[in-house]
Amino acid sequence: MTKKRRRTKSERIRRREKIISFICLFVICVIWSIPLLYMLGSSFKSDIDLQLHPEKLFPSSWDEWTLKHYTGFLVRDGKIDKMPIWMLNSLWSTAACILVTVLFDLITAYALVFLKFKGRNGIIKFLFLWMAVPGVIGTAPGFVIFSQIRNALQMNETATYLYIYFWLIVPSGTGIFNMLLMRNFFLSIPPDIVDSAKSDGAGHRVIFRRIVCPLARSTLLLIVLFTFTGSWNNLVWPQLLLSGEDSYWQTVTVALTGYTGGSGWGQVGVSMATGVFSLIPIIIVFVITQNKMIDGIASTGLKG
Amino acid sequence: MEISANTKERQRKAAKRREHFLALVLISPYFIVFLLFTVIPFIMGFVFSFMQYNPYMPEQNEFIGFDSFARIFDFGDPISQKFWSSFSTMLVFSAVNVPLAILVPLGLAYLLNMHPPGYKVFRAILYLPCIISITIVGIIFGNMFAGSSSGLINAWLGTEIKWLSGRPWENDFLRWFVIVLANVWMCGGNFVILAAALRSVPKSLNEACEMDGGGRWERFLYVTLPGIKPAVSICLFNSLIANLNLYGGPYVLNEIDNESLLVTPMMFIQNFLLGGAAYARQTGFLCAAAIVFGAVVMLLSMIERRAMDAKKRRTSYAEEYALIKGENSLAEGEKENDEKEA
Repeated sequence: MTKKRRRTKSERIRRREKIISFICLFVICVIWSIPLLYMLGSSFKSDIDLQLHPEKLFPSSWDEWTLKHYTGFLVRDGKIDKMPIWMLNSLWSTAACILVTVLFDLITAYALVFLKFKGRNGIIKFLFLWMAVPGVIGTAPGFVIFSQIRNALQMNETATYLYIYFWLIVPSGTGIFNMLLMRNFFLSIPPDIVDSAKSDGAGHRVIFRRIVCPLARSTLLLIVLFTFTGSWNNLVWPQLLLSGEDSYWQTVTVALTGYTGGSGWGQVGVSMATGVFSLIPIIIVFVITQNKMIDGIASTGLKG
Repeated sequence: MEISANTKERQRKAAKRREHFLALVLISPYFIVFLLFTVIPFIMGFVFSFMQYNPYMPEQNEFIGFDSFARIFDFGDPISQKFWSSFSTMLVFSAVNVPLAILVPLGLAYLLNMHPPGYKVFRAILYLPCIISITIVGIIFGNMFAGSSSGLINAWLGTEIKWLSGRPWENDFLRWFVIVLANVWMCGGNFVILAAALRSVPKSLNEACEMDGGGRWERFLYVTLPGIKPAVSICLFNSLIANLNLYGGPYVLNEIDNESLLVTPMMFIQNFLLGGAAYARQTGFLCAAAIVFGAVVMLLSMIERRAMDAKKRRTSYAEEYALIKGENSLAEGEKENDEKEA
């Protein structure tokens, strides 16, 4: 007969802690998810239901569920409406931002770590110092330079579009934080690996492609995720560049500010539906990579 | 012999030159872009601030010395009044929001650190809001706190409070309340950092402190807090910078039709730039204002860094423990915890 072991005091405390924290966190998480549930629910509510039952998170009865708000912004008068175009703008510019960032970070960090040249330490010190410099000082002059060049060049529509997105994409590739993240990872690669490859006659190209890049995969993923959320959610600079342009050219984050502020409020259903729609890429990426993303932010100390 | 040594020397030099050249090729794209899009605008900012600058009328441009800076500190000037009122709003807001952006995530992380069942689900739900763009957050919170009875919160409370229509410094407490709420909702980044830091505080230290008769509060004060101090410092820095550069929240969360509504320095600068030709005359003044603002941001962040570094360390339990046991227990804590969980 096995006697049931009496739990020790500390075990009992641990158990109690677990139960209390579970209850607290459960309540907090329910409160935390109210805004998102509200967005999701309102996007399926019909206009009448929105008026009559504002206190309900979801449509009040099964009959009230509607996809009207979603189909409404996708197609209008038989033509594709603005929303899908905004999504495409955001998608391609985000992809380009990621590509530029990854490319720049990889080759620059490689040169700074594995190649010996004069002024290497100076460059790194300079970058560290520059991280403390507030970017706001350069915003106004950057915008002035941008518009001066645009006025001087007299471009046609397509060229203007590409020019604006060039100013959106290329400068974002030089984020110092990401570059130093890459460099720190390269520094942690044991030099023996690289040295032995060198003594086997491998050139820099082979070392870069066969050794360094495969090892850097997890750091690269982090940089991709940071750039993705950062560039998808970027508001200030794109808003500046895209102001006064064709509304078809805007990115999603900039365009949706039209549903807020001043007279923008009121179309609850449509604005919620567009909000849900524009969240889809972020949510997909989050669901796939959430653990990597969260651990990465925790270990690098970057606010996402 | 000598000839071969010479050749070797020459070969080594050639290889070195090749390496230098390769390095130059590899780093130049990054640094050219960095120079063109970051450094040059930065320098131009200083140049413009000493000028009467108007991009639309280049013939009027002239150097005016420190006049723009003098105008900023001339509190009678209407534009500089707007600038300083936006400045004070930002400071008050940061004073409220930065502590909240540390304390709330810390509380959540402390709860999470008790390892309740469903640890990862809770973590994901609490983290999720911070990757949502401020525009969407604005749409959600703006409609939840809509002024009429159609807003969710007003419907729940049965009231018709005008949450978002206050003007700065005139009855706008409620609007700031909503913005702070939205910011607290988006505290996931800090939460994740603090949760990871709490996890790496060695359990053995907690247990040892418990043995010595330390209650929950003492353990938190002498074991946990010193252990997570670096993480708190990082979070504080991030939140400070984010709140000083606050733009999106106040921009999207308002119900006022007023073009000239300026609430934070970032909005002040952005509004002027979006104004186009009408405001182009003020470019020099704007650059000077940006420099003053940037200097304050830099100063505050430096004070924060200094304070967190130099603050006399509380006699932490970890150090005493290490002295007794003669080992660096903090460094081993993480490993130890991982082993225990495995």
